[in-house]
Amino acid sequence: MELREINKSYGNHLVLKNINLEFPKKKVTVLVGPSGSGKSTILRSLNLLETPERGKYLFDDLIIDFTKGIDKKELSYVRRKTGMVFQSYNLFPHFSVLGNIIEGPTQVLKLDKETAIKNAKKILKKIGLESKIDNYPEELSGGQAQRVAIARSLAMNPEYILLDEPTSALDPELELEVLQVLLQLAKDGQSMVIVTHNMSFAQQVADKIVFVEDGNIIYDGKPDPFFKNNKNLRITKFLSSMVLK
Amino acid sequence: MWEIISKALPQILEAGFKYTVPLTLISFFLGIILALFTALIRLSSRKGFFLVVKLFFRFYVWLFRSTPLLVQLFIVYFGLPYLKIKGMAPEGIKLDAFIAGIITFSLNTGAYASETIRAAISSVPKGQWEAAFSIGMTRNQTLKRIILPQALRVSVPPLANSFISLVKDTSLAASITIVEMFEVSQQIAAENYQPLLMYSLVAAVYAVFCTILSWGQGKLEDKLGVKANRSKKEVVIDGVERN
Repeated sequence: MELREINKSYGNHLVLKNINLEFPKKKVTVLVGPSGSGKSTILRSLNLLETPERGKYLFDDLIIDFTKGIDKKELSYVRRKTGMVFQSYNLFPHFSVLGNIIEGPTQVLKLDKETAIKNAKKILKKIGLESKIDNYPEELSGGQAQRVAIARSLAMNPEYILLDEPTSALDPELELEVLQVLLQLAKDGQSMVIVTHNMSFAQQVADKIVFVEDGNIIYDGKPDPFFKNNKNLRITKFLSSMVLK
Repeated sequence: MWEIISKALPQILEAGFKYTVPLTLISFFLGIILALFTALIRLSSRKGFFLVVKLFFRFYVWLFRSTPLLVQLFIVYFGLPYLKIKGMAPEGIKLDAFIAGIITFSLNTGAYASETIRAAISSVPKGQWEAAFSIGMTRNQTLKRIILPQALRVSVPPLANSFISLVKDTSLAASITIVEMFEVSQQIAAENYQPLLMYSLVAAVYAVFCTILSWGQGKLEDKLGVKANRSKKEVVIDGVERN
């Protein structure tokens, strides 16, 4: 999965300036940077919830040229291959936990209900929420809701899971249970792209760090040189603002 | 007095079940379908020729919300016979009174209800669309499975309002020769010289009909509310939750 020369603007404001990025398979790419830097826009572009004006999006053999627009086939291919997890969970309130998880498999993949339920149970077991299967979203804590959202995305068996500040709305205690699930997924070799403000989590989970500021990519590489002995003044300033000393 | 009532009530009820109830039910049913259709068209972001279609539906809603229902009934029933279209209706459009009533009430309800439904659909958070899109659902699937069920819940109370209004508005059909409850009560009053009693009686029958509908609304809200609000907490306006 790769983005090439991506440009995106809202009105007159250019939010992504000629972005080039690769997202390796079976690896975790973490996007960090100040608020409003464009990292969420990059993530949403990968799921085509945002469409940049210019640039190319490469996915396996598929090449989407944003100047030419996107057809339905390309859209459904990309959506099929990527799953999105949102900051505010966005669970479907009128479905139970099970209903949320099997909605995609039964409606989009046209799986029969029994198989979908079997898969859903497997995933719920993995994230430790079997007991909540018949509950409704508003009966869940934030951490549980976000884990269900991750399960909903996993049920579609996507190649990449995209997570947009998955723990920003959570208490530290609840944050931990979500981070543990993500660490486990990373260990299982699930390809992920994560936008986060939690630097210690980023350091622990990332195979690759991307630092975005003002629509530009300032750093793109291994996590270690990013967090330790970084010579870039902007990055050291950002990092020091993120941790209490 | 009871003798007069026991003589008049069956006649009024008969007219109620023969005209008022069917007029209300059929008009409301057609009106809601029209309203949903209108709301979806007005919310669509399609461009090109579609903009003309959108403009047309906007005009329709404006027209029926800006003119009195009684006048609309008169135009459809008494006015249209004078609309002579060469080739299609050279003799003018003459409608049966009941049909004219159904058409007018449906169009009127459709105009108001379309605004209710439009608002209800808009009230569903954008994140719900995005979540559905992100698991690969199409626009139509999202609308049908995710958005409309949530919008329906919000729109039940205001739509029930429209329904109850419609029950009472059908009394205007008396003016286009439909022999519904109010017309019957007028006829009886003219015979027995008891206008106060007869009009009070028909008012009571309307009230009973509307009370039954309000009760049905409560049941429906319970039923739809259960799934989305399992904890059964009721929010009161001072912000305190009670169980």
